Amino acid sequence: MEPWSRREDERLLTGEGRYVADIKVPGCLDAAFVRSDVAHGTVRSVDCSAAREVPGVVGAWSAADLLEMPACPHSAARLRDLPPVPYTLLAKLSTQEAVAGREWPVLAKDRVRYPGEALAVVVGEDRYRAEDGAAAVAFRIDPLPAVVTASAAADDSVRLFDGLSNIALRGETGEPIEEPVWQEAAAVVEGRYRQQLLMPTPMECRTILAVPEDDRLTVWSGHQMPHRLRRELATLLDWPVEQVRVVVPDTGGSFGSKCATFPEFVAVVFLAVKLGRPVRWIEDRLESMKVATRGRGQDQKTRLAADAEGRLVAYELNIDADVGAYPHLGVGLPMQTAWMATGPYGTPRVHATVRSVLTNTMVTYPYRGAGRPEATIALERSMDMLARRLGMDPAELRRRNFIPPESFPYDTPTGRRYDSGDYAGALDLALKTLGYDGWRAAQARRRTDPQTLPLGIGLACYVERSGGEPGGLHEFGGVEAHEDGTVVARCGTASSGQSHETVFPMLVARTLGVDEARVRLVEGDTDEQPEGLGSFASRSAQVAGAMLQHASMLLIEEARARAAALWGMPVEEVAWSDGAVHAAHGGSAAMDLAELVKATGPMRVDDRFESGMAFPFGVHAAVTEVDPELGTVRVLRLVAVDDCGVVLNHAVVRGQAFGSAVQGIGQALYEGIPFGDDGMPLLPGGLLDYLVPTASEIPPITIKETCTPSPRTPLGAKGAGESGCIGTPAAIVNAVADALQLADPSLLQTPLTPDVVWRAARAPKYQEAAR
Amino acid sequence: MKAAAFDYTAPRTVPEALDALGDTRRTAQVLAGGQSLILEMHLRRGGPDLVVDINRVAELDHMRVNGGALQVGALVRHRVFESPQAVPGALGRLLSLAVVNIAHPPIRARGTMVGSLAWAHPASEWCAVAVALDADIVLQASGGTRVVAARDFFHGPHLTARHPRELITSVRFPLLGDDTGVGFVEHRRTHFSFAQVAVAATLTVRDGVIGDARIGLANCAGSPLRARAAEEALIGAEAGPFTAGCRLPGDHPFTRAGRIAAERDAAPLAEPYADVEYRRQAIAVVVRRTLCQAADGWSPGGPGGPQGDHR
Repeated sequence: MEPWSRREDERLLTGEGRYVADIKVPGCLDAAFVRSDVAHGTVRSVDCSAAREVPGVVGAWSAADLLEMPACPHSAARLRDLPPVPYTLLAKLSTQEAVAGREWPVLAKDRVRYPGEALAVVVGEDRYRAEDGAAAVAFRIDPLPAVVTASAAADDSVRLFDGLSNIALRGETGEPIEEPVWQEAAAVVEGRYRQQLLMPTPMECRTILAVPEDDRLTVWSGHQMPHRLRRELATLLDWPVEQVRVVVPDTGGSFGSKCATFPEFVAVVFLAVKLGRPVRWIEDRLESMKVATRGRGQDQKTRLAADAEGRLVAYELNIDADVGAYPHLGVGLPMQTAWMATGPYGTPRVHATVRSVLTNTMVTYPYRGAGRPEATIALERSMDMLARRLGMDPAELRRRNFIPPESFPYDTPTGRRYDSGDYAGALDLALKTLGYDGWRAAQARRRTDPQTLPLGIGLACYVERSGGEPGGLHEFGGVEAHEDGTVVARCGTASSGQSHETVFPMLVARTLGVDEARVRLVEGDTDEQPEGLGSFASRSAQVAGAMLQHASMLLIEEARARAAALWGMPVEEVAWSDGAVHAAHGGSAAMDLAELVKATGPMRVDDRFESGMAFPFGVHAAVTEVDPELGTVRVLRLVAVDDCGVVLNHAVVRGQAFGSAVQGIGQALYEGIPFGDDGMPLLPGGLLDYLVPTASEIPPITIKETCTPSPRTPLGAKGAGESGCIGTPAAIVNAVADALQLADPSLLQTPLTPDVVWRAARAPKYQEAAR
Repeated sequence: MKAAAFDYTAPRTVPEALDALGDTRRTAQVLAGGQSLILEMHLRRGGPDLVVDINRVAELDHMRVNGGALQVGALVRHRVFESPQAVPGALGRLLSLAVVNIAHPPIRARGTMVGSLAWAHPASEWCAVAVALDADIVLQASGGTRVVAARDFFHGPHLTARHPRELITSVRFPLLGDDTGVGFVEHRRTHFSFAQVAVAATLTVRDGVIGDARIGLANCAGSPLRARAAEEALIGAEAGPFTAGCRLPGDHPFTRAGRIAAERDAAPLAEPYADVEYRRQAIAVVVRRTLCQAADGWSPGGPGGPQGDHR
């Protein structure tokens, strides 16, 4: 195998990948949804009768119609009404309190609360027929005023749920900071930052195919957490989990957006069971742009204080988070920002508050970075403002405040215990790789030459969290040796493109001392691996990797014990090396795994293994050139130094770093959802209106790594997948603010579209303001 | 999204195509490159009952020069114009400067110039070039052929003088003289997105004085525009001096022309991320820069390379 290719590449790059939409099941029906064309309104009527007359349409139902659906001979007959969308308590993403009194119906009954909320479902012989039917459904909705930002919704002048506040969750971390602290500080800077709503935009949108057979249901879905999906679907159906099998075939990206049981999933599974026929829903791009979960969405207020030497004394972050119309999946997500508010600095006092506010938008949910980009942008933009205020070099201000390497484990004022870090090391490497001093000199030259465009240099130092939250830091799996010399590794993760097929067999092979080609990975199938957590929070390498290493070592112990019994010697005298048992003190006895299985029978170990939370970190640096007349931003250089502890596969980590940096560029410069006054997103042209960076927009990106192992996982690996989304946006925004020398950097709110930058470029510069 | 059901026919000759378009029982649309029509059909935005696929009509796949004009048939793809040598002289340069702004290579390999004219998107590069150069659009129906000047052809976003039963068989551009400089500059958010502003310009300078100027504006109104007020302000003005960096003094004729184009010729509409104030600013800047490019191409200093980001 070439070092840069992955085991899955040949299949995926030659069109041999098998995604949910490629799975052919005889008699399968396609579902299409009729969607609200208002953001907020009262449902007056939904009439599916015309749709049922459309050729090829098998059925069409509103929420009310489903109640009258006849029972079938299937064991789901006891399931009468369509169950509501489940909520999750995992990682404190939601709470009982937040969902109380706020039901999320799968099909809207009397109220729609976000654009595109489903009103009816139509199933047809294929997707064309289903869409023909959906077009024939008539509905009437009386519009209500819509609120699409947290700031607009927080005053409850428009309520999403009658009698309940839009503020569905309040939280805080750290201790409130007394006024004298601010008054006595040598410098205090305040900022207001808006983190726009983003779309995760995986290449493949959401998919589900539900196939009922006898008393079982097999569900195929591009999903990050097959066991959660199985558990939640079984609960909805009131079935034992064993009756549901979830399989994750090839999946075209997820970025966090494919962890939940979505309304459409509930409808599809319900109909498959009720009709006794396979039903699938393959979300298309425009549907995804309407109703796939959003990321980010915060209005932030910051206050950062330092003494005269530039040592930080206090930091305060107030967040009004837009969590969308229903609190079920992500109302607690903004707490990630609060918990990570401290960043890489030893600030003694840090206080963060959160108000999660319901708005008439689709639900906000973890999207690559999930709360940490928001924390990094707020803090790192504040750091640049402070450096300017103090007249210090922004790199020097940061260096002066880093938590030093000898202080780990470090308890932050916001409740995290950082495992390990060498933040100055990452900064040094980033500055050296960028040629920081050279760019500063170029910047100074340009500032004296009116024929040149202004140049800016931006830094962002970040700490992120990987592995998951307490209660979700373990993984299940096992290793099995076969008679033919092959080894099967199983685990509870599910890849949506993260190279598990390459990395995990390599890890197992290395631990066992066998040829990598003999090891095969099985994951994403709840029949093959009955327990598991999944792939999210950059946890697969760190947590599942550790589990597979642990299972491999258990297999070695099992092999030694069997050899000892076979050879009639104490187990201490059986050694293991290069995939074989042999007598420790010489002698001819030796058997490889295949021979041992032949001699002693099937050999398989399974276990659960727990790791600790880890805190990857890094420094991103960007150089931008701004055309003040048009407001265009050109990224000339981007350097990303990431430390994810011990790297299992450099090419794979590099790919993750590159891809996430590009998504970070998207947040900084291009991606955003404009809304009309009626609360409807203005995206009629799909990806022609919601602009993601394409190959033409990618600047020269240099990726470097430092290695500070995590002491909390046996591999020393930390999560690697989210770095660019976390570090890159702040670096670019800081670079643009630096180019324009803005007195009030809050004028720059992402995405930095040309009109935003042009307006900012006309605003007072900081020297002028200081005069 | 999936298209609603439609009928499909693939004529081999122009008369066959015209017969299909003449079917009064159903709405018909012509399929050439399909880079807009197919998307619209998938979006179920007014899809046709009948798709008339002209890709097998061999006589429409031609490009020739005669009588001082370039004639481009309805099946000539965008990418043909990527080479400045594909078309003689300054016209070839102008078309090559414009074409690289059209989407990405795969789209340029399928989409057609005539298709862009028929679709009449307000941000279309070809529509602005056609208006700037007074191109003639040749329309054929079963009753005969008529020629409509580009200035009379565009009536609004996706609205043209073409009758539903007519087929645009070709477009004719006048060739440009050797003393004509050309420029095309586009401003957009990403390479893939539509122009926020695009400008096509030609300048003919004699003895240091601008003798002729043509400026076509894309996405500066509901239809492509010729910036006539700006052109008039240029004619008779001294052409130089200026620098390629194009930080020109406020009273330079190009700067003035940019302002006039933005304030008097253009009628920009607000859109997300570009309100009217910003769009007027962008129009003024892009017109000025396009004129610099056109003058640079003409001047003894030699032809200026393409500006901006032409990937």
